[in-house]
Amino acid sequence: MSDEKVQVIVIGAGLAGSAAAYRLAKAGVEVIVVDRGSEPGAKNMTGGRLYTHALDKLMPDGWTDAPLEREVTREIMMMMTAEDSMAIDSAFPSSMSQKSYTVLRGKFDAWLAAKAEEAGAMMLPGSTVDGLMIRDGKVCGIKTGEEELEADLVLSAEGVNALVAERAGLIKPVNAKDIAVGLKYVYQFTEEAINHRFNTESGKGTAMLCAGACSKGVSGGAFLYTNKESISVGLVVDTVGWKKSNLPLADIAEEFKQHPAIARYIEGGELIEYSAHLIPEGGLSSLPQLFTDGFLLTGDAAGLVVNRGFTVRGMDYAILSGIAAAETAIEAIEANNYSKIFLKKYEDKLQEVVLKDLKTSKNSHDYIGHTQHMFTTYPELATGLMKNLYSVDGNPSKSVLSIIKESTKGKLPLFSVVKDAMKAVKSL
Amino acid sequence: MKTLAMDDRLAKNRFDSDDQNPHIIVDREACRTCNHRACTTCCPAERYKWDEENDKLSFDHVGCLECGNCRFVCERLNQGINGYSWNYPLQGAGIIFREG
Repeated sequence: MSDEKVQVIVIGAGLAGSAAAYRLAKAGVEVIVVDRGSEPGAKNMTGGRLYTHALDKLMPDGWTDAPLEREVTREIMMMMTAEDSMAIDSAFPSSMSQKSYTVLRGKFDAWLAAKAEEAGAMMLPGSTVDGLMIRDGKVCGIKTGEEELEADLVLSAEGVNALVAERAGLIKPVNAKDIAVGLKYVYQFTEEAINHRFNTESGKGTAMLCAGACSKGVSGGAFLYTNKESISVGLVVDTVGWKKSNLPLADIAEEFKQHPAIARYIEGGELIEYSAHLIPEGGLSSLPQLFTDGFLLTGDAAGLVVNRGFTVRGMDYAILSGIAAAETAIEAIEANNYSKIFLKKYEDKLQEVVLKDLKTSKNSHDYIGHTQHMFTTYPELATGLMKNLYSVDGNPSKSVLSIIKESTKGKLPLFSVVKDAMKAVKSL
Repeated sequence: MKTLAMDDRLAKNRFDSDDQNPHIIVDREACRTCNHRACTTCCPAERYKWDEENDKLSFDHVGCLECGNCRFVCERLNQGINGYSWNYPLQGAGIIFREG
């Protein structure tokens, strides 16, 4: 059956999709959001944390009722060998100028979708999009099950596996080298137990990123985030690098949690969910075509993620791209012009808020991926040096310089350290 | 920390699986000629296993976390060659993340 035409169809009720729908509905645009989950949020997952500047922009009147978990006021960067670890533990108790909160997408996305619905958007969960309707090169609707739904504009916020856009030939297939796979455990605790374990108060949280033995020398690392009443802990590894390693990911996922520096935080918790998701880490060089006649691409589907090692961002970019897509759609409706030429405005809008960042970090994925020492030698060096510095065995004391020399001897030529450091300055 | 078997991990999740219609299709006979079997090491949910006894791949789509990593490590799934296809489950079926 063919229904009457709506103004905008959004594929995917994630952050980009629901943000766009919220904005469109607020502007009085007819918008339908189709999502393959039984309810919005059911298919969505993050590490993760959300930088809330994007929420300020989406909801200038406030988002105080958003189900955020804890404000991140403590940042831990850790390097680990199989047994030892060394961490840089930073505290910002009076909060940062750029706030971030830990989130769980099951709750958060349901909330954002409800906001969009409240504003007048129509949510259609439980609908997997099978394909696009394309006429004379213009996208003019979607197909789901037996139904066809027409629209002036289709906005894809379908996520990292952008099968709909890919199969319609609108974007080139994503290259495996630009993908990382993440898995996550959520352990339940009482709020008090987390406050006690992380030496913090209610509402305040910790973000921890670890590099080294946790990813078995493959580009990637472990993460840990404190939620209100749970801890998210997981592993992210480069898809191609892991394939080459021949190591069993599902087993290593258990192994890294046994590391004393991680186990001490999650010991005694009850597992309530085990999840996995892909991350588009290709950055600027892998950016697909973001628009075509009647069609815009947002969020993970557009590959809008930046991993700089110390910060990983994707969800704020998703929201910002959703806003930019909605603004473009509103202008297109006013002009009654859905051509590729008109929709280029979307890229111009994205330039200011998202693409600029991707450009700044255009070499960071390459740097992190191809600086092997980052995941092997440097964690060993750092923990080894610290161990030597803190070791007191009754023998005559050595100077710090001689300890450094001893700790690094034979492990790494100074030249390659300097080279990596220079590359880091340029790439991150 | 106690080590958790995959079944114990997946048992914590909520699924509404379509048991009869797998969303991922592999040709287990043709898989015998694969020279890397990366699906057996790269699936976070351990859905692909090599059955040594029968020298054949075993695959169970129930319990799939729908990440899509297999589509990137397996060239056949990636290209969707004859006997292989990768799709999301239809109309709300599959994993239901409550935490996410």
